[in-house]
Amino acid sequence: MNTLVVLAAILFALMVLVGGRKGAKSFISLFINFGIIILMVFFMMDPNASPVILTLIASMLIVCINLFYVNEVNDKTKMAFVSTIATLILLFVFIYLITSGAMIQGFGEEEIDELAPFSLLIGIDFVKISVSIVIISTVGAMTDVSIAISSPMNELIQYNPLMKRRDLFASGMRIGRDILGTDTNTLFFAFIGGYLALMLWFKDLSYSFGDIVNSKVFVGEVVTILCASIGIALVIPITSWINAVYLTRKRTKEELKES
Amino acid sequence: MSFFRGKKKQVILYSILIFICLASLIFVYHNASFYDRSIAKVTEIELIEKEDLTDFRGNDDQQFVQRIIAVLQNGEEKGSEMELLNEYSYSGAYDYEYKVGHELFVALDQSVNKKNRLTGEIKDIKRDKYLAIVMIAFAVTLIIVGKRQGLYSVISLGVNAALLSFALDVYIKYSNISLVLICGVTAILFTTISLFLTNGINEKTYAAIIATLIGTLVSLFVTYMVIWGTDGRGLHYEEMQFLSRPYEMIFMASLFVGSLGAVMDIAITMSASIFEIYEKNRDVSIAALRKSGMEIGKDVMGTMTSILFFVYVSGSLPMLLVYLKNAAPLGFTLSINLSLELARALAGGIGIVLTIPIGLYTAIFFISRKKART
Repeated sequence: MNTLVVLAAILFALMVLVGGRKGAKSFISLFINFGIIILMVFFMMDPNASPVILTLIASMLIVCINLFYVNEVNDKTKMAFVSTIATLILLFVFIYLITSGAMIQGFGEEEIDELAPFSLLIGIDFVKISVSIVIISTVGAMTDVSIAISSPMNELIQYNPLMKRRDLFASGMRIGRDILGTDTNTLFFAFIGGYLALMLWFKDLSYSFGDIVNSKVFVGEVVTILCASIGIALVIPITSWINAVYLTRKRTKEELKES
Repeated sequence: MSFFRGKKKQVILYSILIFICLASLIFVYHNASFYDRSIAKVTEIELIEKEDLTDFRGNDDQQFVQRIIAVLQNGEEKGSEMELLNEYSYSGAYDYEYKVGHELFVALDQSVNKKNRLTGEIKDIKRDKYLAIVMIAFAVTLIIVGKRQGLYSVISLGVNAALLSFALDVYIKYSNISLVLICGVTAILFTTISLFLTNGINEKTYAAIIATLIGTLVSLFVTYMVIWGTDGRGLHYEEMQFLSRPYEMIFMASLFVGSLGAVMDIAITMSASIFEIYEKNRDVSIAALRKSGMEIGKDVMGTMTSILFFVYVSGSLPMLLVYLKNAAPLGFTLSINLSLELARALAGGIGIVLTIPIGLYTAIFFISRKKART
């Protein structure tokens, strides 16, 4: 039996056992997300297509799946959708500036040997691919944070219909802060796990501190983790603000209708 | 009065932070003299050649040659101009288009050219500046958004990174100790430090630490049994990068560390919310706690697994593109490049889901002990 199939089967069984219907949905959404990423790669192969636009479309689809399929279409998920996309676009500019400045696109000298049989002149701008990597790696976490804030904010205004906009915003920020630490931690360890071999390589080949902080692979990795974490942090005020404005506006409208 | 003092403390803290940020920025912009390697800063660029070309797979690309005038930033020849040639492609997978202001590591030739300029060869790019900018942007955003919690997260990430580096040093010095064992000890330290820093020293945190350790151990055991039982079929270790050590060991250790963060996250979420319900209503029954705990678990499960999934899959994008553009078949490309990443994501997912009941029952155990005491 193939190891991956067995692992996937165990994960599926556990998710259904613990999460029931929602667990099954989450598992299926993983598959759909995988499909979206592979499709994105396919479209990126066309030299005329812009990888940046493709990434944005793919992330929108991923956010839709994670919000509207796993949860459902309602005010909470709609607000989370708007907030995530707004943050993504904001983050995009920052990531683009950093990746093109630091020139961390493509492959490092440590990886290039195994690519010897391949042609690297494939007509795809690898700087844009680097931007895509950062965006795709953080979009899941951003959606997670966004729904975790917008859902209790919607509950809150139902229990305290007279809440001021400022207080609503503040409580959104409070909820966000609690998640911020744990989610950046998750990302951090996931990346460390992925690059443990690289760290050992640096130590085994006794790279100096100066070599490491200028090496393409290392800088690329750190930029990806940190930009992903910045995305998680930014989505908190943006979601809180969008929800606070939307919920108080909606209330004023309802009051006008009643009077 | 205490409000005022709190304000004052905050102002001092923020001033210190701003000072550190500015000082480190100034340092990375002027640290050329600390390097042994020669550094040159690009001042002029001239494109001297442009050529369309098609590789043997029929992919169209463009190749450029640029002449660069750069000023040396360190060493004996500091301040003198040099001339460099650079060839780059539109794709830029392993070459770079330089612009004015970029700093490069160069190797100097002993000769000068006709215009009496030094010549040399570009070795690498100086990237430490960008590393510093991203680190500062990260710390500043986290602290502004997260206030105290943000500051603690930054500190705990820093401490964990230092700890990891130290643990790897120990491993390299005493290579006869198993890497998995070292990672185990480090994992215990990672967990206690991060959870104590972000959640304080209390029973809630104790429960989360115990749940994290049990959760990671159980999930690692399950994954190990699966790999052993299926003989690792479908796992392409040969595509593992940066190997300087036996690969299976590194892979197991990376599974361990990789899922640790997510498991920790679930464990603290479970125990914090169970304790919260209990504190709000001390008479709540164990059965009710169990029920609400499972509801909370269901909510976080899906999103956490998808975080791991995206992190692992996204890194493979450049490889996938190179393979596919070189006419490698899709199935082969996916299984070669993604098998280990998917295995990591799946193993992490198993850890996450298993930790939900583990975290729940550990928290309930602590609460029922508390109940028995009172």
